[in-house]
Amino acid sequence: MRRVLAIDTSAGTSVAVVELGAAIGARPQCVGSWHSDNPMKHAENIGVAIAAALQQAGLTASKLDAVVVGRGPGPFTGLRVGIAAAVMFAEGARLPLYGVVSLDAIALAEREAGLTLEPVARLLVATDARRKEVYWATYSGIGLERGEGPGVQKFEVLLGELEPAGPLVAATQGVHAENIGRLFFEQHLAGVASLDISALYLREPDAVPTPAKKVSG
Amino acid sequence: MSLHSNWNIREAHESDLPELLKLEHECFGSDSWSEDNLRSELVEHHTYYLAVEIDGRLVGYAGLSKLPANSQSDIQTIAVAPMARGIGLGHEVMNRLIRRAVELGATEVFLEVRADNPIAQKLYRKLGFEQISVRKNYYRPDGVDAIVMRLVPDERSVQQRPQPIVLGIESSCDETGIGIVRGNTLLANVISSSMDEHARFGGVVPEIAARAHLEALQPTLRKALAEANLELNQIDAIAVTNGPGLGGALMVGVGAAKALAVATGKPLYAVNHLVGHVGVDVLERGVLETPTIALLVSGGHTSLLLVNDLLDDVQLLGETIDDAAGEAFDKVARVLGLKYPGGPEIDRAAEGGDPKAIRFPRGLSLPKDMEKHRYDFSFSGLKTAVARHVELAESRGEAYNKADVAASFREAVADVLVTKAVNACINHGVPRLLLGGGVVANRRLRELAQEQCDKHGIELRIPAFSLCTDNGAMIAALGAQLIIAGREPSGLGFSAESTLPVTTIQSR
Repeated sequence: MRRVLAIDTSAGTSVAVVELGAAIGARPQCVGSWHSDNPMKHAENIGVAIAAALQQAGLTASKLDAVVVGRGPGPFTGLRVGIAAAVMFAEGARLPLYGVVSLDAIALAEREAGLTLEPVARLLVATDARRKEVYWATYSGIGLERGEGPGVQKFEVLLGELEPAGPLVAATQGVHAENIGRLFFEQHLAGVASLDISALYLREPDAVPTPAKKVSG
Repeated sequence: MSLHSNWNIREAHESDLPELLKLEHECFGSDSWSEDNLRSELVEHHTYYLAVEIDGRLVGYAGLSKLPANSQSDIQTIAVAPMARGIGLGHEVMNRLIRRAVELGATEVFLEVRADNPIAQKLYRKLGFEQISVRKNYYRPDGVDAIVMRLVPDERSVQQRPQPIVLGIESSCDETGIGIVRGNTLLANVISSSMDEHARFGGVVPEIAARAHLEALQPTLRKALAEANLELNQIDAIAVTNGPGLGGALMVGVGAAKALAVATGKPLYAVNHLVGHVGVDVLERGVLETPTIALLVSGGHTSLLLVNDLLDDVQLLGETIDDAAGEAFDKVARVLGLKYPGGPEIDRAAEGGDPKAIRFPRGLSLPKDMEKHRYDFSFSGLKTAVARHVELAESRGEAYNKADVAASFREAVADVLVTKAVNACINHGVPRLLLGGGVVANRRLRELAQEQCDKHGIELRIPAFSLCTDNGAMIAALGAQLIIAGREPSGLGFSAESTLPVTTIQSR
């Protein structure tokens, strides 16, 4: 397992080709990527994004070893586009397919950016869940391991719940597919890569069964 | 068995032998090949046999022989069950064999035909065969002469009519459909529906539909490939519905199709869902006869189209201004305490009911509506009228006749749909009407359409139900027509458009 196509549409549209270096322990390198922070237009962008990442890497699908996708949580409509694309790319290229929690890739980005926490502090990763809510998870320790979450909650309510347990550091990074790829390699090398690619919706569909309405007053 | 069935042509296997033998006896009686003879024909390396199925039943087969060292190929036999004759099957199978012979390097194709079988001779002449000799008393024991015919296939003409293998992906509503066609031949049509998950809500819930699409993609794709007995790398192109439909649902299919296209390196065609419902007719008739009026009725659409050309000229004459016809069935079913989906439930409830018992309104059918809404539909007033009727009876503590209400409601829907469609045919001088969409399953709608079309000398086309309801085969078929016409692929940048106009047949 040396080279993967990483896809994430939990926020913007992000695709990267990430490969392991020859040296043991070297940071996996992004050799091609396409990224947009636009929280819409996932269906428009996804094809161009995958093609561009591969082209930049100078590769065709047959040179990849796996596909890894961010499972969210994220706004459903966009999130599904990336997972659908990952499923079909893996089918089309006959590649194994893996899933990671998108929020974990933000924690990884913070770690790579040099974030170190006090022993009692936690990193709070929170992304826009619309409807005045956030998707969130907390991370702690040297490796920034996920503690609580992922969940979905009103931000103020969440803070009220988390703050009494100790100081929080807010994450500032976004989700980039290259970190989805790096996260996968970490998990793969640790033997904990996951085949679960189900979308982390965290909310039920809004629909509620209603009795038929009366029309005559 | 009728025109309305799908046929599927595939290579014959030894495992087909028992069914082939039965067919052989049915078609040739005392002239039949023995079991051993037929088996060796199937398993030999220099033969190529095709089997034809309709609804999973073997109804025909044909084969050729072509030795590697020889530039001549012989058509060994062709058999079509009596009930499957007269629908162009023989022509299609022969065409396939001829193409195969050319691919195998044949420059001449020979066959023998009984002198007392003018229908077969006519078919062969139509395909370009010419008589070259007669073998006296060839067919025993009847002593009938054999006419030997020869075709010199025009290699270019064979190649100029490419039969692209196209995989179509449909996800505009609650059906995940993946279909595969070769040109205008259906190879696979697999549909995964989330209908049951919507039942307790009494209608399609977009978020539930979109979630179901995501789950269904991979299994549906694998099933379709298995059904067509193909690998993904044998597909020539991919087609996908990019609208109109539910936005979130469409986006799943569009994202999936784009990724599949990049992974496989195949060209991608973004096609219009509604035009797909029209184009599906090529899978049953080989071509779409135009001009035609198309009436598309489902839970999401009620549209009347004028199709002058499948790929270049489709006009929207009218559509519903409120509920779709299928939605009206669902809503009225709820009013009557029936289950979802409403169509079949109302059909059942209407059994024995009097369709004239209650005169429910026909939306947008008054003289004053003719100017602005001549071909538009409205069903919300009808639904309200039914609800009022029921509520009034209930408020008086009276029982209402459910069969009469169901039958009268159904009559009102069918009447307004058929009347407007037939009027469109008459007013535009178009002698054809094509029906599509899930509501076509409604028996009364089909009956009334047939009745009115017969009355006005209009030819009515109703594709098989599996092709009327939302499906991937229709998307594949429209994609194949675009390819055959030499159209460029759509690229990767197109969007999912929930309100895509019917005039945009292919998006870029």
